[in-house]
Amino acid sequence: MSIRQHGAMRSADDTVGGHQPPAVSPARRKWRPYILSIPATIILIGILYPFVQGVGYTFLNYRATEPNPHFIAVGNYVAVFTDPLFWSSVRITGTFAIVATVVETILGVIIALLLNRSSMIGKIFEKVLILPLMIAPVIAAVIWKLMFNPQFGILNHIFRLGSTYDFLSADRALWSIILVDLWIYTPFVAILVLAGVRSLPREPFEASAVDGANWFYMFRRLMLPMMWPYILVAVIFRFMDCLKVFDIVYVLTQGGPGHATSTLQVNAYINSIINFNYSGGATYMFILWIIVYLTAQQLVKLLGRAQARAAGSEA
Amino acid sequence: MNSPFSSPLSRRRVLQGMGLAATVPVLSACVGTGQKSTNNGANSVTGSFDWKKAQGTTIKILQTPHVYQQTYQPLFKEFTDLTGITVTADLVPEADYFTKLNTELAGKSSTHDVFMMGAYWVWQYGPPGWLEDLDPWINNSAATGAEFDYNDFFEGLRTSMKWDFKVGSAAGTGGTYALPWGFELNNIAYNKTVFDKKGIKPAETFDNFIQLATDLTDRKNDQYGIAFRGSKSWATIHPGFMTQYSRMGGKDYEVQNGKLTAVMNSPTAVDFTKKWADLAKAAGPTSWTTYEYPNCTGDLGDGKAMMVYDADSATYPKNVKGASKMAGQLAWHQGPAGPGGSLATNIWTWAWGMNANSKNKLAAWLFMQWASGKDAMNKAVKSGAFADPVRTSVFNGSFKQTLGSFPGYLEAFEAQVPQAKVLFTPQKRFLETTEDWAVALQSIYGGADAKSTLDSLASSNTNKVNS
Repeated sequence: MSIRQHGAMRSADDTVGGHQPPAVSPARRKWRPYILSIPATIILIGILYPFVQGVGYTFLNYRATEPNPHFIAVGNYVAVFTDPLFWSSVRITGTFAIVATVVETILGVIIALLLNRSSMIGKIFEKVLILPLMIAPVIAAVIWKLMFNPQFGILNHIFRLGSTYDFLSADRALWSIILVDLWIYTPFVAILVLAGVRSLPREPFEASAVDGANWFYMFRRLMLPMMWPYILVAVIFRFMDCLKVFDIVYVLTQGGPGHATSTLQVNAYINSIINFNYSGGATYMFILWIIVYLTAQQLVKLLGRAQARAAGSEA
Repeated sequence: MNSPFSSPLSRRRVLQGMGLAATVPVLSACVGTGQKSTNNGANSVTGSFDWKKAQGTTIKILQTPHVYQQTYQPLFKEFTDLTGITVTADLVPEADYFTKLNTELAGKSSTHDVFMMGAYWVWQYGPPGWLEDLDPWINNSAATGAEFDYNDFFEGLRTSMKWDFKVGSAAGTGGTYALPWGFELNNIAYNKTVFDKKGIKPAETFDNFIQLATDLTDRKNDQYGIAFRGSKSWATIHPGFMTQYSRMGGKDYEVQNGKLTAVMNSPTAVDFTKKWADLAKAAGPTSWTTYEYPNCTGDLGDGKAMMVYDADSATYPKNVKGASKMAGQLAWHQGPAGPGGSLATNIWTWAWGMNANSKNKLAAWLFMQWASGKDAMNKAVKSGAFADPVRTSVFNGSFKQTLGSFPGYLEAFEAQVPQAKVLFTPQKRFLETTEDWAVALQSIYGGADAKSTLDSLASSNTNKVNS
């Protein structure tokens, strides 16, 4: 078959319902990829522009009130790393993220297991559980701030703590903030894990039951390994969010009393917006971005391994 | 036909070009943030003074909801009738007000021609060139009416609006960057009914004051001795704290070899700060570290706080009939005197500033002149809620006539006003360094060692204010 014949056959094969597809002009064929890439490019620039500008600010001494910035190399980084407040913020942010994530995960798994048994009460709880997630965290924090108030707050009244017990004092504020975070986000973990539990295959459990395995054995040896990828997804979401916590901390304590709840995000905000120190705030944010990026990378690797194990691979 | 990928203008090259183009504004933004000089505009106003000189103009002003703002709102129509200038007021809650204003001014926006501000903002907004120098306007008889009478403003208010932006220079030097509008002295407002029932009087010394506040505290009955601000803000330092701190001999900075040295760690300062934090713990509100002035005055009005150490103009409305549970039962006192009888008092002034980037400067100036003028202020005062007027003639005239049953208010005012002024040293990092001071105070309240906390604060602040 000649090349010409082959071309003719291809044309005949390409017809749909006897109609020839419209011929695309060479100019359109040439420019279409560029045109199609415009939205993605705009979005990319929209993300990269503020990011690159922010990173650029970290090498300047740019303040709103002293608007003649000049290049100071790594001066901002030296200032941040030699500031005890930064290390205190790292400790507070780390404590918050680890404690909140661990407790939310444990509680979320327990709640998911309890709700897994289909019952009327379970269904009602499922609906109730989602309520905190429907409230904006800032609003939730305002509500909790009122509840924490020693004079008229309901918590002091219910627990008969009197008007001298302050939930937001220097030694309790961080734990109170964690409590608020647990209230808002434990249902998120529970719902995510519940979805995972309900998608597990029944056969291995039925086989174990026939072999006489008890509930705890099945949970430890079957359910938990298979649920692990779902739990890890929840952990990744929550840990990343906790590292970036700002709204509930700022509403409840503004990072205080003193520096008792000054997280990295709160410090970045105070630097940039309250003190007009754009370079100082950008430096905090860039360091936080690196921490979040590296942590996320490790957790996603862990997730990949867990998924592979759950799928039966030893990789 | 050549493939598009082999042409000189390849897809990769186009994308590379777009990427490079994107970096241009980024790089230019990194270096192109310098200030631009603006034309003052006062000298272009000539001829005789006439309120109608900017007739037909519309100006936008930025305000925060406040008694002063509420009192003046109905008067704007009179200004429009007088000048032919329309005023549009934008309101932003106080918690977000200065963030909004900072962002706008830093962005060189000309959206708002005039805005409410305080004396401390002269130190922040003046050096970058965001505020118009008002001296050329005040001194130009074509732009300013003869009845304006600039010297009628209390002296402490006039000086607090002037600075030359040099480290170590006192307030009162340099240009005028705002016009006073309303102001406040910091003193004690107390529950007179309870005091009378117990047969006690306000304390005259700081040690007696601490004892009195502690004795008046009865937690079981939800009653405590003294309310003052404690939130994580510069505003915690400037009212009662700075007033009493100064009376006890404390200073914020000293000028040494042309540089500022923070001295909020001097033995006097450490002693006072520790006593203040202990007082908050023993006789203050339980959630003191979140307390701002509405919380303090609210507790006074509700009968929970027996005394408030804050702005007289903030406690004043609580005594107006129907405004609070304790209305008609409050009284005022100048507060404890320092050693040697010092009644040094820090003041706050709500003032009008003109945006240096305004495109309607004459109309803006006419508005500021009217708003801080005698006629409008007399009318505002007669409404019964405007305290304290910034003009001596208005204070001694319509304000004294309007002031009803406010025991001790005038006496406290007259005792304090000779020693009343901005007691902070002007410096460009005021908000940041004073907020750090509030953080240190909170830390000491939380149990941190006063001496080492204040040593660290002073060291950090010395570096900041001279950088």
